[in-house]
Amino acid sequence: MVSSKELLKELLTDEKLGYCQNCGSCSASCPMARVIPEKYNPRTLLQRVHLDPDGMSEKEELWLCAWCYRCTERCPQGIQPTEIFLLTRNFAAEKGMIPPNPRRIIQEIMNSGRSMPYDEFIDELREDYGLPPIGEVPAKVLEEQRKIVGEEFLGMVK
Amino acid sequence: MSSEYALFPGCVASVREIGYEVAIRNVFKALGITLRKVEDFSCCQPACLVHSIDYVKGLALTSRNLAVAEETSLPMLTLCSSCYGNLSRAKHLLDENSDLKDEVNGLLAKAGRKYRGGVKIEHVVTVLHDESMLPYLEKKISNPLSKLKAAPFYGCHIFMPAKYSKFDDPEFPHKLDELIEITGAESLDYNEKTSCCIGCGSFFGEVSEEASVLLSEKIIGSAKEKGADCVVTTCPFCIMQLEIGQIKLREQGKDFGVPVIHYVDLLGLSMGLKPEELGLDLRRINMEPVVSRL
Repeated sequence: MVSSKELLKELLTDEKLGYCQNCGSCSASCPMARVIPEKYNPRTLLQRVHLDPDGMSEKEELWLCAWCYRCTERCPQGIQPTEIFLLTRNFAAEKGMIPPNPRRIIQEIMNSGRSMPYDEFIDELREDYGLPPIGEVPAKVLEEQRKIVGEEFLGMVK
Repeated sequence: MSSEYALFPGCVASVREIGYEVAIRNVFKALGITLRKVEDFSCCQPACLVHSIDYVKGLALTSRNLAVAEETSLPMLTLCSSCYGNLSRAKHLLDENSDLKDEVNGLLAKAGRKYRGGVKIEHVVTVLHDESMLPYLEKKISNPLSKLKAAPFYGCHIFMPAKYSKFDDPEFPHKLDELIEITGAESLDYNEKTSCCIGCGSFFGEVSEEASVLLSEKIIGSAKEKGADCVVTTCPFCIMQLEIGQIKLREQGKDFGVPVIHYVDLLGLSMGLKPEELGLDLRRINMEPVVSRL
């Protein structure tokens, strides 16, 4: 069985994250660190995750990565900070620590199949512009989504 | 190049940026490309949200869409760069790790689906920049936009990480510039060409929203300083972020008024389509700097 823990362990091994030279390319490339440097610094975050991935759950900064992949693209050692941060969030989620906004959007996706709320006015506007209606995502698709993630996941994002 | 695609509409384009979908449909129709509706698609399940809760289950939800696309035997056409990047990422992760693929297929089996790996994922601009498409596009230009200066804004997920989002070189991209030049418009060089709009980071509350407005100011400010009449993106999420960012900046007394349009809007205008056929009247920023130079 492949779990998030195993995948993270693989990315954090000495042969991978152990090769970090502390060059700071990740922080220098990061759009978040560029405009809010006092609140977000991926190089520091990466070192903290390396030391204690399980101990990061309460840190807001764990959720600030904008998922642009610029650090991953530029790291001279092939470390993948973006994937590491996504995996580390799994530990926080396991303990119930999911910030309110992501929780709300994930509920929306599970309930409606879309990340943006749909209502009939959207189809009225679409019709005015000659677009076919999108309607609701079929109930069968929502059922497939629920079967894939299972009750435990649904309970986590409730 | 295919003449028919399975349309993956994406949440931003079909629900929030309807004007952009209007443009895509009208431009692709004029190019003779058919977009087929597929009932069983759902949200691409962006990694920054769903995979953050459970990485493997998140990947399974994303791969469900790939499995649905496989059944159509058509290449998949994404309208949003984040859908493109997210679906390409899932495909890449599963194709390079057979244990992960088996795990995901175990979850998909519960819903009667199977990911096999045969789907081709395209994006509006990867289709338009296809080698066989470029000469065809050139012939379609009836109204060259020679008075217009455009600042290309690539958007992250169209080319990062380059190992699976393969549109262009993420450090020195040139393909969007080339596409802009085909329309007769001038493609400007400026500092923020490869910046991030923080679209996918704007979910997490006040801090990230603040960052997003600060970056909008840098991006739009730099384009305006170089004399841009508009910013041209590849992604509806960038349009939404950079327009809303400008509205928030205007509330702070900083009024840039730079239209943010998608490349298909520019292409459509150069093919002689009217602004309303491209849904430009649905945009949040006044399009006058663009329409006055047609």
